[in-house]
Amino acid sequence: MKTYDAIVIGSGMTGGWAAKELTEHGLETLVLEAGPMITPADYVEHVPPWEKPFRGLGDRKKQLERQPIQKECYACDEWSGKFFVDDIDNPYTQEEGKPFLWLRGRHVAGRSIMWGRQVYRWSDLDFEANLRDGIAVDWPIRYADIAPWYDHVEDFIGISGEKLGLSQLPDGKFLKPMDLNCGEVMMRDVIARHWGGERVLTIGRCAVLTENHNGRAACHYCGYCERGCITLSYFNSINATLPAAQQTGKMTLRPDSVVHSLIYDKKRSRISGVRVIDCVTQHALEFQGKVVFLCASALESARILLNSATPEFANGLANSSGEVGHNVMDHIMGGGASGRIDAPADRNTVGRRPNGIYVPRFRNLTGGPKSKFLRGYGFQGGAGRDGWWRGTDLPGFGAGWKKQIEAPGDWHMGFGGFGECLPRHENHLEIDHTKTDKWGIPVIKISVAYSDNERELMEDSSIAAAEMLAAAGARDISVGTDFSPPGKAIHEMGTARMGRDPKTSVLNAHNQSWDIPNLFITDGACMTSSACQNPSITYMALTARAANYAVDAMKRNEL
Amino acid sequence: MKRRSLVVAAAGAMAALPLLPPDLQAFTRAIRARMGSGLRTLDPHQHATVTTVADLIIPATDTPPASAGNVAGFIDVVLSDWYADDDRAAFLSGLADLDAQAHTAFGKDFVDGPPAQQTALLQGLDDETSRWNASPRKARGPEPFFHRMKWLTVYGYYSSEPGLVKDQRFVMIPGHYVPCAPADSSATGDF
Repeated sequence: MKTYDAIVIGSGMTGGWAAKELTEHGLETLVLEAGPMITPADYVEHVPPWEKPFRGLGDRKKQLERQPIQKECYACDEWSGKFFVDDIDNPYTQEEGKPFLWLRGRHVAGRSIMWGRQVYRWSDLDFEANLRDGIAVDWPIRYADIAPWYDHVEDFIGISGEKLGLSQLPDGKFLKPMDLNCGEVMMRDVIARHWGGERVLTIGRCAVLTENHNGRAACHYCGYCERGCITLSYFNSINATLPAAQQTGKMTLRPDSVVHSLIYDKKRSRISGVRVIDCVTQHALEFQGKVVFLCASALESARILLNSATPEFANGLANSSGEVGHNVMDHIMGGGASGRIDAPADRNTVGRRPNGIYVPRFRNLTGGPKSKFLRGYGFQGGAGRDGWWRGTDLPGFGAGWKKQIEAPGDWHMGFGGFGECLPRHENHLEIDHTKTDKWGIPVIKISVAYSDNERELMEDSSIAAAEMLAAAGARDISVGTDFSPPGKAIHEMGTARMGRDPKTSVLNAHNQSWDIPNLFITDGACMTSSACQNPSITYMALTARAANYAVDAMKRNEL
Repeated sequence: MKRRSLVVAAAGAMAALPLLPPDLQAFTRAIRARMGSGLRTLDPHQHATVTTVADLIIPATDTPPASAGNVAGFIDVVLSDWYADDDRAAFLSGLADLDAQAHTAFGKDFVDGPPAQQTALLQGLDDETSRWNASPRKARGPEPFFHRMKWLTVYGYYSSEPGLVKDQRFVMIPGHYVPCAPADSSATGDF
């Protein structure tokens, strides 16, 4: 049997990066993807609603039957529903009274197809947070360790954004920023006047190209990125990283390959390979590799480790610390506020900008005042005018009423809070031995709930957003009080955390298993805390960093 | 589902057409007409009623009317495959009630009434809908028929090519983003 230099499990946000970096360093790499192949021919972003059977309402009955959980994601609609898993084939269980939304796709490129594309660097405010607060364990790295890898990732994928010079949100290597619209410019100026630099409104930093970049075209502003992009203008792994890996001639991409477990060689204390179920033939297969990168997504990677238990690792592979599957975090949402603003009535936007605004964290900054809660939140949102949909509840009908709707309606501004979630050991998943998925693999049982700290910072976000709207003279301000259940932000992370001590963490400073040196975990599982920024860029930077470390370690015969 | 199996059974019975009693023959003709039009829930009269109401809500102006966007066809799809059974029943009974009100008001089915009287009848229903919209959510009675009808008409029209492109100036691939354009410029449409 062929022994690959490397096996990468997962082809999404991080698997694509592992594949690119490892193959570019000459490693023969097998990329295993649980779901089917997709290519840009599967993209549907330019299919208008009138060509869909339900004109965009979605196949409600089929969704209720097959995607009762996935439909909770805004992107799981009549176009992109095919990029989300079938909940019946891919079940999980939840602890009574602790709802958790596990929203995901299984296909080549994974969630990098439907992701929200927001990209924010972390700073030492985040990497030092656990140490400073005496919470969980300290990150084994600091901003200086990851900064060059943020550069590396940004150079390749292309990030548009505005430099601000803020210490809590380091600037990156940006393409030209997208524009704020008139409503957002008004809000930005009001915030600058009232909060003089303490709070700042900027255009979102996003992985959507504003200029041609690395063979990919600038955005054409159709606005439906989560349905794919035929011009490759936003980053996903089939638009960028997997083609780069393909180009080396060193990658073997194997779709329809559900990983059952990892094979542990106790004589060498190494992973020797991977057990796979081919979901087309249903055959059980094995693949051998010298190094394994687990990039299957935070919960799935933990599931694979727990399902790979051996006599040496009775509680799950690489789990001598007992932390595998624990410390699950997401970002809490649902706080914030929106209202009607007095932006110019004779102005509107042309084109659909696939990006919003960002208000970087302003609570509990270094040297600043302390809130009653730990950590903080950022705002995403934007301004826009009401459209035709207001006709459903606008009194009247007939020609005059139709003319009213033809013109744009009121300007509205909305701020949605994304709050940091603290790592807590009790927020965990375990194998549910009473249930298996379509391929006979035991599923996970998830037990995660937010605590007072998350709720308090979300409440504060609602008040802070309402203050900003009030300062702008907004009317009909409505405040968010319905906070999201864990999982809803689709930023789940923390199930195999990095740390400084093998007794309390799963991975070292290079995403390498303390227990098994040829195992690297670089998806969201590795996260030691959650910060409040969207996490994908940090996962990608850590993956690239770990892959380069692994290549060097292999050269030194350390793996 | 009952309704669907009735359609299938009736279609199968067409081969034996000459043996059917006259009233069942009429029924089968109606089924056949419905199948020919591609409609699966609305019968021709209901379809005509929905089309008439939708075009009163969104008439032809300098942009196309609701019927240009096949709003009634869209509503048939929603009734057949999207609505829950009780929502479908509520909509169809609302349609029947509209005819009952038309008979009271002008002694004819709604579709056969003079436009001014049709409009007057709908005005009453729209007022009722506005009162329902304005009432506190918890204190609301069941959703008025006209609220459903108006919602489906608005959604169906503005998701159609005539509504979205001609009325709303929707462009699938704008090619650029203008953050503060004059409000009457082209390509402002959104979906």
